[in-house]
Amino acid sequence: MNPIISARGLTKRFGRTVAVDHIDLNIPPGRIVGLIGPNGAGKTTALKAILGLVTFDGELSVLGKNPARDRAVLMEDVCFIADVAVLPRWIRVWQLIDLTEQLHPKFSREKCLEYLADTKVTLDHKVKQLSKGMVAQLHLALVMAIDVTLLVLDEPTLGLDIIYRKQFYTNLLNDYFDEQRTILITTHQVEEIEHILTDLIFIQDGKIVLDSTMDEVRERYVELMVVPDKAGQARSLSPLYERELFGRHIFLYDRADTEQLALLGELHTPSVADLFVATMKGATTKGGAA
Amino acid sequence: MNRMIALLRREYWENKGAFRTTPLVIGGIYVAILLMLIITAVYFDTDLWTVKEFIRWAADRPTEFRSMVIYQFMLGSTVLFTFVMAIVTFFYLLGSLYDDRKDRSILFWKSLPASDTLTVASKLLAAMIVIPSFFLLALIITHIIMAIIGSLLVLGVGGDPWMLFLSVVNPIKAWGMIAVSYFAQSVWALPVIGWLLLVSAFAPRVPLLFATLPPLIFSILQSWFVFLQTFTLKTKLVGVIADWLFNSPIILTAEVHDGRGEIALGVPLKGEFDHAVTLTNIFDRLFSMQMLIGIVVAAVFLVGAIWLRHRATES
Repeated sequence: MNPIISARGLTKRFGRTVAVDHIDLNIPPGRIVGLIGPNGAGKTTALKAILGLVTFDGELSVLGKNPARDRAVLMEDVCFIADVAVLPRWIRVWQLIDLTEQLHPKFSREKCLEYLADTKVTLDHKVKQLSKGMVAQLHLALVMAIDVTLLVLDEPTLGLDIIYRKQFYTNLLNDYFDEQRTILITTHQVEEIEHILTDLIFIQDGKIVLDSTMDEVRERYVELMVVPDKAGQARSLSPLYERELFGRHIFLYDRADTEQLALLGELHTPSVADLFVATMKGATTKGGAA
Repeated sequence: MNRMIALLRREYWENKGAFRTTPLVIGGIYVAILLMLIITAVYFDTDLWTVKEFIRWAADRPTEFRSMVIYQFMLGSTVLFTFVMAIVTFFYLLGSLYDDRKDRSILFWKSLPASDTLTVASKLLAAMIVIPSFFLLALIITHIIMAIIGSLLVLGVGGDPWMLFLSVVNPIKAWGMIAVSYFAQSVWALPVIGWLLLVSAFAPRVPLLFATLPPLIFSILQSWFVFLQTFTLKTKLVGVIADWLFNSPIILTAEVHDGRGEIALGVPLKGEFDHAVTLTNIFDRLFSMQMLIGIVVAAVFLVGAIWLRHRATES
């Protein structure tokens, strides 16, 4: 199957700073990919390159097109919500829907109105009259009503309350996602998306430090919780990362012998958030985990 | 085509106040002035003797004279509309590729399948066609309301408005001439429109300064060089801009023609073109060498604007 996104040596420099540093990517259709990284890691820049918003060095193909050159054509099959709410403040909701309908061949007015019915947004509202959360709801309703192949969400639920965030991810999974579509999400609220992701990519200082499916992640990484007097033994088995919680020592291992570890204490599957912290901190001390 | 219409509607929605309300307000000012004149007349002259006397005097004039006066009045009444339209267009263009960069809504616009070329073209067409159309429409409405008020006044004092002026005017001819002059001006103004779009796409802040300071500084430096070299006045940028303005195909001033005062195209201080309001004179300008150079300059500016728009989300 042709990949949705494929990149070879994708690089973006701003003057002397290298925001994205020779990234290789291969994202097939039908995946939900979480792109996770600390602030300033190059997530947004990488997404911008994929969306044709910045020029870049290296090879990048999105749905078989070069995004830097063919943005307008590409946007018929790609939708994105970039960063926080960027809807024009002067526009009314009905105007926004009209405009999207006329410009987007794959927009469904009915679906959009359906999603909006669950919110307090009315057609006559101006965007500037809406709260931050309502603007995000409006933008999500617009985007989810477009039948595209690739959906890119950069911090899509920033400013939304928990109820709507849960609702959003449920809708995304049940109504929107299917095996033809690919969703690429960045967020700092990792725990909210971890159960819907099929793939995980960690990015740090413009480089990819982890790129694997969630199944591989669950197989590969294991967390061990031990009482303090077993800590030395656990530490000798070269863990990726160590932390302390309520007097217990917690170690994270990559491709470890689980039978041997089970003798020392309790084994868990690490959360993406813990894995993220371990990878980011481990990468600086141990020189990478990928 | 549908996309272009959608984008033009978007320009209208965003600028409804400037595009639609402003010309209607000017029309309102014309009507208000007319009503104030009538009320003043009634206040000082309850029997409207002066009005009756004026109607009698006017009715004695030959038809061609009445026709000519009204035609000239209709052309002349555009000047306030034109002046305000120029200001509206100027600020519209300055903001057109700047405001959405400023408030970051450009990220939303770029998420729609509309190319940068189409986007810049929509701003260009809004300035060249949409704005003049709204001003024309408001002008026509104003003329009609003024004609109705004038007719009622004439009827009120026992006169016959049909005989006096309604039958002698050819509104289509006057409106047609104004329309041609407006849209010819849109073409004539291309280099300036292109410049403003370029600045709007480029300016990191305060586009007004970026639009006015470079030509100003350039002109000052040029004048200084000219002072050193004694060059001709003509090739200086100020001279070029003055020529451009004075030779505009838009109704702007009046001139004495065959011993009579007549409404004129542009400012009749330069002898290159005839300033009488005729189609020939308007098209003379559009098919001139100056216009050709103007179009080339405009094309360079517009390509620059599109390129900058393409790179607007770089940082």
